[in-house]
Amino acid sequence: MTWDIFTDGMPELLVAAGGTLRMTAFAFLLAAMVGLVLALMRLAGGFAGRFAFLYIEIVRGMPALTLLFLIYFGLVPAGIVLNSFVAAVVALGLNGAAYLAEVYRAGIQAVDPGQREAAQMIGLRRPQVMRDIVLPQAVPVVLPPMGNYLVSLLKDTSIASLISAPELMLRSRDLAGTYYLPMEYYLLAGVMYLIMAWPMMHGVRRLERYFGRGRLQGGRT
Amino acid sequence: MNAWLTVGALLPVLLFGAVTTVEVTAGGFVVATLIGLVCAILQRLNVRPVRAAIAIYVDVFRAVPVLTQLFIIYFGLTEIGIRLDPLPAAIVGFGINGGAYLTEVFRSGIESVHQGQMEAAQMLGMTRLAALRIVILPQAMRVVLPPLGNFAIGLLKDTALASAIAAPELMFRARTLVDQTFLATQIFVAAAAIYLAMSLPLGYLTRRAEARLSRGRR
Repeated sequence: MTWDIFTDGMPELLVAAGGTLRMTAFAFLLAAMVGLVLALMRLAGGFAGRFAFLYIEIVRGMPALTLLFLIYFGLVPAGIVLNSFVAAVVALGLNGAAYLAEVYRAGIQAVDPGQREAAQMIGLRRPQVMRDIVLPQAVPVVLPPMGNYLVSLLKDTSIASLISAPELMLRSRDLAGTYYLPMEYYLLAGVMYLIMAWPMMHGVRRLERYFGRGRLQGGRT
Repeated sequence: MNAWLTVGALLPVLLFGAVTTVEVTAGGFVVATLIGLVCAILQRLNVRPVRAAIAIYVDVFRAVPVLTQLFIIYFGLTEIGIRLDPLPAAIVGFGINGGAYLTEVFRSGIESVHQGQMEAAQMLGMTRLAALRIVILPQAMRVVLPPLGNFAIGLLKDTALASAIAAPELMFRARTLVDQTFLATQIFVAAAAIYLAMSLPLGYLTRRAEARLSRGRR
């Protein structure tokens, strides 16, 4: 072990960690929005519902890495050349959308059907029912799994290093190779992921406990 | 269209990689299950330092990307003279990482069994360990099986990361073929299809097992 790692490369690693956070944020936004559209399509049924179902099954059935390579390398013959950061955001976002669509669907279905019926009875239109009555009540069900997804997304951004997108893992690989100190730099990267992910994990745990209050616990030991 | 036919000819190479993917998945799954089970039981024995150590293990290994853990094991350990081949390194990496997840899974499974079961078993003269093995764990399986199945599916897909440490699995074969043929679209689509062909049946089996176990339960 050597302490030089903190002077050689720490600034670069911190910048790279910023890239990781940025990538996580953008991919999360994309996943949250596309996921909601997919969930609504799925619940609408018909052709849209079948499309959403297929999308979700196919994307959840393949590794995020495969999707990433398909988008980054596989679209080039079709004339679509994305820069590595954008490709990573798109791939992680589209991958996450499939997961979040299922999360949203579960959340929406957890809302008592009586709520929807009552809202329609008092004359709200269907989009209004969804927006003003159903979705707000789905939030407590949806929030904890969304938090879990955010944590795993943060870690999954590390695969973007395999298409050389500027983030923490790529930079630590560069440094590990340059100074030939793989153990030090990968451990350091691990610690930095830990510092970012750990507060999120505990936040999610608190969310779960908060929203889980008052639920039946059954005969737990 | 020609390019797709070429991929048909290359399919055996990808399938060969898929076999390695299954090997890594199976190996990682066994290691993770063993670690998870042992940690969950040790946690149950209520020895404070052991509990704390396991809690730290679970938190740390779940907060760090698997890719980072694979690199530490494959590249990092060489610094202290431990050189693992890609395949064992991947199995160890996924096993230790998965063990952290499965510790939580087994813990919640054991906790879901009513306390009275343990008390009754001990009343009959069983040791705690025997009671766990014979009485608690079989009942915990009902709770544990669905997340265990989901873990297996997740692991199957995660093994694609082993390509980054040159383990000759499906994704690695696909990347190598792309380097040789430049048919990125066709080859990665084929790889995705093979992953789907493996993960969809696994998902179906998990759902069936889940349905079977929850029969007769409210």
